[in-house]
Order: sequence, then structure tokens, then C-alpha cells
Amino acid sequence: MRFNFDFIKNRKIYFIISAILISVSLLSTFVFGVNLDIQFKGGTILTFLYDGEINQSEFEKTAVDALGGLGVTSTIGEDFTSGRKNIQLSLISNAGLSSDKQIELTNTITEKYSANSIELLESSDVSPSSGKEFFLKCIVAVILSFIVLVVYIAIRFKNIGGWLAGFCGILALVHDCIIVYGTFVICGMSIDANFMAVILTILGYSINDTIVIYDRVRENEILYRKTKTRAEIVNLSINQSLTRSINTSLTTIMAMLVVTIVAAVYGVDSIFSFSFPMMIGMLCGAYSSICFICPLWYLLSEKMDKIKKKNNRGKKRRHA
Amino acid sequence: MAKIKKPVFFIVFALILLFAASVFFGVKTYYGDMETVYIKGIDNIRFGIDIKGGVDVTFTSPEDVDATEAQLDAAKEVIVQRMITLGITDYESYIDYNNDRIIVRFPWKESEKNFDPEAAVKELGETAQLTFREGYETDELGNWTGVTAENVILVGADVKEAYAAYTQNDNGEMNWLVSLELTDEGAKKFGEATSRLAETRGVISIWMDETCFSYPTVQTAITDGKAQITGNFDGEEAKALADKINSGALPFKLVTSSFSTISPSLGAGALEAMVLAGIIAFAFISVFMIITYRLPGAVAVISLFGQVAGTLAFISGYFEFVAGSILTIPGIAGIILAVGMGVDANVITSERIKEELDNGKTLYGAIDSGFKRAFSAILDGNVTMILVAIILMGAFGTPDSIFSKMLKFAFFMFGPSTAGTIYSFGFTLLTGVALNLFFGVFCSRMMISSLSKFKIFKNPKLYGGGAKREV
Repeated sequence: MRFNFDFIKNRKIYFIISAILISVSLLSTFVFGVNLDIQFKGGTILTFLYDGEINQSEFEKTAVDALGGLGVTSTIGEDFTSGRKNIQLSLISNAGLSSDKQIELTNTITEKYSANSIELLESSDVSPSSGKEFFLKCIVAVILSFIVLVVYIAIRFKNIGGWLAGFCGILALVHDCIIVYGTFVICGMSIDANFMAVILTILGYSINDTIVIYDRVRENEILYRKTKTRAEIVNLSINQSLTRSINTSLTTIMAMLVVTIVAAVYGVDSIFSFSFPMMIGMLCGAYSSICFICPLWYLLSEKMDKIKKKNNRGKKRRHA
Repeated sequence: MAKIKKPVFFIVFALILLFAASVFFGVKTYYGDMETVYIKGIDNIRFGIDIKGGVDVTFTSPEDVDATEAQLDAAKEVIVQRMITLGITDYESYIDYNNDRIIVRFPWKESEKNFDPEAAVKELGETAQLTFREGYETDELGNWTGVTAENVILVGADVKEAYAAYTQNDNGEMNWLVSLELTDEGAKKFGEATSRLAETRGVISIWMDETCFSYPTVQTAITDGKAQITGNFDGEEAKALADKINSGALPFKLVTSSFSTISPSLGAGALEAMVLAGIIAFAFISVFMIITYRLPGAVAVISLFGQVAGTLAFISGYFEFVAGSILTIPGIAGIILAVGMGVDANVITSERIKEELDNGKTLYGAIDSGFKRAFSAILDGNVTMILVAIILMGAFGTPDSIFSKMLKFAFFMFGPSTAGTIYSFGFTLLTGVALNLFFGVFCSRMMISSLSKFKIFKNPKLYGGGAKREV
């Protein structure tokens, strides 16, 4: 299949689409609120499985009494794997809940609700300081990845203005990260280790998508430098690699779709909250490389050339 | 690649199948119930606690205590000792000296249905009790009885310091031992006991909680407050024993700063779902690749299969020179991502071959230049992935790993992380992508070049070439 779309001419449409997606993602923070997981902010979540009915407010009161007055909130849900109901107890404390206290709480609850054959399914307790450290460490890891990627692209793509190409590649990553973030916020999923794994995977996919197109630009730049304009070269390169972009994205997204469906059928939330945003991110990564970043790189390259020309002219005049 | 002969395809194909079979099943012999593992199979893969269920706990010293490195080493030694006592052998533990933290992670015990992780963790954090007891009398369960139960000679608080030391004999061989320095009161008690026991060549047994790790015979009375424990130690064992003894005198109680448990029932469903999803996804990719790219597509499926087998091999510890890794849910995501990169490498190459054919090249020429031209894009894409994977492994790995040391400059202010799940992601991604360069580029090329020598595979249509040109 041969494509012949004019990505450069239509760039304004793509820029507007990207601007809308980014704004929606960022604004959703204020509309829906960010659900930062206790892995990052610290706190305690205990999940119990039970049968029959439990009075939620009474349950909370039992917990508060057992903890000596610490505030708790609870939510009731259903556990798909076992078909039983679950109740999730969360408390935000400045110091982690000691294992002594947790044992006391669990014992009190299991005793009181023994008729419901209640049992502890999962417990998670993170002190705020280690949560904050984990969060910071993730951010440092992402920033370090950005720096390394820019340097690598700058070296490997010297002939198409390496640093600018690297910078644009990173912009694509930021673009995709924001939209993945928006997906998490809009779907009400918590920002946790899964979120970090998705972001990191999308970083990989998106930069790969961009590199494959850059690679074509690099090759065509050598072949057609004298005969074609930059706009023509960029358009040609995107179109030449379009079948590849579509086929690769199709296979990986479909593979992710399989994972998402199986996870939804089995009710494995930990995988669903991972595979669904991953699909969105993959779509977005392919889109940003094709429609957003390459036209942007073209635009910035043209601007840089103009500035250079101006400077050169200025120099010449001064010399004359 | 005119040099590649017809049989190459069958050799590569057979090698990949053979390799995959040995990865999936391992190489083992059975003698009755005794199993000897020569090569680890996938049933030797260790799963993270997010899949298998388990406990992840971080101990710290109390807020007002600044623990020394020696104290932390000692405290960790106690925890390890206690886990072994509880029958937990598949544990991980490391120390964060900067923040006085000891991170411990262990999976659920399969044998025990009523394993109480909270009680286990509580027990792990308690101060260890070191005792020197008279004699070595135990019942069949290993609990002390008789005089050993009754007569406690020394407790941890009586030991001022223990350290590993060695003596050299005339042949220049080193004999490791543990030197003890006792407090004044300890010296007095020990002096009395040893004077009494030396006459009868009695035994003093040394216990940590309820585990005995040494029971030396008393040779002479020791009254100067210095004792030595000799035995068949090497340097490391002597240091470990000294750490254990020091920990018996730990000046603080460990508290938990983070504590998570995941029930095995929660994890089991996740693993089952991931395996099923993986098989369906692989089948789907295979069908898509073969329909879209025909011969190169079929070859791609073979090399992807090799890549997946290779990744699993690295995780299970198949290769002696690479320690295996624990597989977590993000780790499985890493495998998926690497498979995606493998698909991409094959798609890029197949597209290029198609393009070269459409440009009127001969089949050999198209295959040759298709691979050559595709390589730069594949290389750059995969190298960037490898760089990201290395950063992740450095940031979230154990502090003594090579990547952590390399990236120390960026993460110096952070201690070792509790997020082993992200490390696993980096590990599977790194191995998967590196293997992709081997299978997806090198093996694919050998197989396609070799197949193109067969008469029945000379039709360009099989490579997606549209035009009806002859070779």
C-alpha cells in the first residue's frame, strides 16, 4: 500500500487536536481530582472478603474503636475472582500503622464478623516518607531517561539536526505522558506503580515510533537533499513508514486488547488498570509521532534555518 | 547473503525449538522422589508477591535512634535467621543504610493454609534472644530439654562485642573463629560455668531464639571475659555468626514503616489470566503476521517464539552466568512490550523487503538490502529501550547490582526501593529487547535468506511483492 497524505499541510489540525487532548487531560485533574495511591502518599488500606451483609457505618465504627480514634473510610465492592463481597478500609495516618495495631484491628474485626466468615485479603501500609521517596525516585528516573534519550538521538541523528530532533522526540513523550495521565484521572484509577509502568512503556513505544520515522527522514535527506524540499522529504518519510506504523500499532494494540478483555473477564483489576491505559498510550504514541511531532520538527527546523540565514546575512553585511 | 545455504533454515529452526523445549521443561532427572535439576525450567521461575501473594515489609529503627551499619547488619541477620526458622527460604532482604531501613519481602508459604503473615512479621521485628546454655540436650523437635533448658549461662546482653577473626597454623592455612568480648558480669558468669564444665569436657550450646548454631566443647576455664567459638567456618560464616551474636544485644526494637500483604487467592487469578492472555495474544500476532507478510511473517513467528523462550530462560535462571529474576505483573508487561518490539522489527524488515521488490530488485537483492536498510531503525529503537531499561534497573534494583552502582550519581539521595515490581519490568524489557536483536534480526535474516534458496519459495508474492516479476 502506498500512502500520500500531506501531513505538513494539515499540521494545524493536528496541533489543535493535540492541544485539546492535553487541555482535557490537565483540566480533568481539577474536575475529577487525582487519586494518588498510598504507595506514593502513604497510608493504610486493608481489604477484607466476606459473605452476607455488613452494616458499613457500624463496620467503620468498629475499626475506629479498635484503632483508638483514628479516622477511617470504607468502600464496599465485589471480588470477581471469588464472587464474594469485599470491604476496603482506608486510613491516612502520618505515621505508618504498626503491625501490632494492625493485628489488633484485624483480630477485632474477624471476631466481630465471624458470622460473615470475614478474612483479610490484602493489606498495604506505607509511611508517607517512604511514599514520597518512591514518587521522587520515579520522577528522577523519568527525567534521567529523557536526558539520555535526547543525547542518544542527538548523536544518532546528527544529519537532521540532532538536538532539535531529540527535543521534539521528548516533546512527543511529554504529550503522551500527559494524555496517559488524563486517562488515569478520568477513569478514576489511582496513580500507583502500575501508572509508572505504563508511563515507562509508553515512553519506549513513543520514542520508537518517532525514531522509525526519523530514520526514514535521515535516509531520504541523503537521497533527495538536492531534489526535494524539506516539507516533501518529511511527508515522504511519514508516508513510507505509515504501513509499518499502522501494522505495528495494530498488532501491539490488539495484543493489549486481548490482555484487557481477559483481565476484565477474570476481574483482575491490577492488570486492567494497566492494560487499558496502555492501549490509549500506544494509540497516542503512534498519533503523536506521525501527526504531531514530525510536522512540529519540520516547523522548528524551518524557523531555525531562517534565524541562521538572518545571522549569516547580518555577518556578511558587517564584513562588507 | 548469498553464502547462506539451504539447510541453514532447518538448523536455526531446530535449534530454536530445542532451546525452547529445554527452557519450558528444563533438564531434570528423577531418582525416586529426588529431583536433580541440571537446567532450570519455567516451573523454576519465582513469582513476585503480586502474583503469588506474600508479604512486603520495611523495618526501621525507632525515630530517636540512629542505627550504625554494624547494628543494621546484625538486625538483618536476626530477621533472616528467623525467616529460616519459620520455614521461609524464598525471601529477599536488603539494608538501606542511609535511612536505617531493612526491607524484607517473602512469598506465601504454599504448604500452610493458615499462615498468619501479621504474626510472622511481628515475630521478625522482635529483638533476638541470644543464649549460651549448658549442654546440648534436645528433644526430637529440636527444642531444648533437661539441663540445656534449665541452665542459661549467658544472654545477649552479657556480650559486649563479637567479631570474626582467624588464626594461621604452621601450614599457613587460615582457621576462622568468632571472638567474643564479654561484659564484666558476663565474664564472671562465663568464668564460673567454664571452670565447672572444663573438668568434665562439657558442652556449651549457643542459641538464637530457638535455633542452635554451635555447641563447642569447653577446653579450659575462661575467666578473662574473652571467648572464642571455633568450628568449621569460612570467613563469611564467621562474620555471619558474629553478626548474629551482636544482634542479640541490639539496643533498639525494630518497627514496621511499611507493611503489605497480598493474599494468594488474589494473585492466582492474575497469573492464570496473564498466561491465557499471553497465549491468545501470541496466537493473534502469529495469524496477523502470517496473513500480512506471508513467508517473512511465518519466519517472524518462529523468531518471536525464540525471543519469548529466551526471555523466560533469563528469568528462570537457565543461564548459569545470569542470576534469575523474580517475575511480577509489570515484569510480564515488560515481556509484552519486548514482544511488541520484536513484532516491530519484523514488520519494518518485511515492509522494506516488499518495498525493494516493488522497486524492481531481485529477490536476493531485496532481502539483502531490506535487512540492511531496516537495521538502523531497529537498532536505534531497541537501543533507546535498552537505555530506559537500564535506568529502571539501576533506580529500582538492589543496591549491589551493577546498574545501581552505575547510576549512583543520579539516585544517591535515595535508598534501595521497595518497588521490586518496576525492577522486574526493566529486567524483562532489557533481556527481551536484547534477544530481539538476536532473534528478530540475526536469526530472521538467516532463515529468510536460507528459505529463499528453495525453488518453491522464490515467488516474490510470498514476500509481499506485488508485481509478477521473475527472479
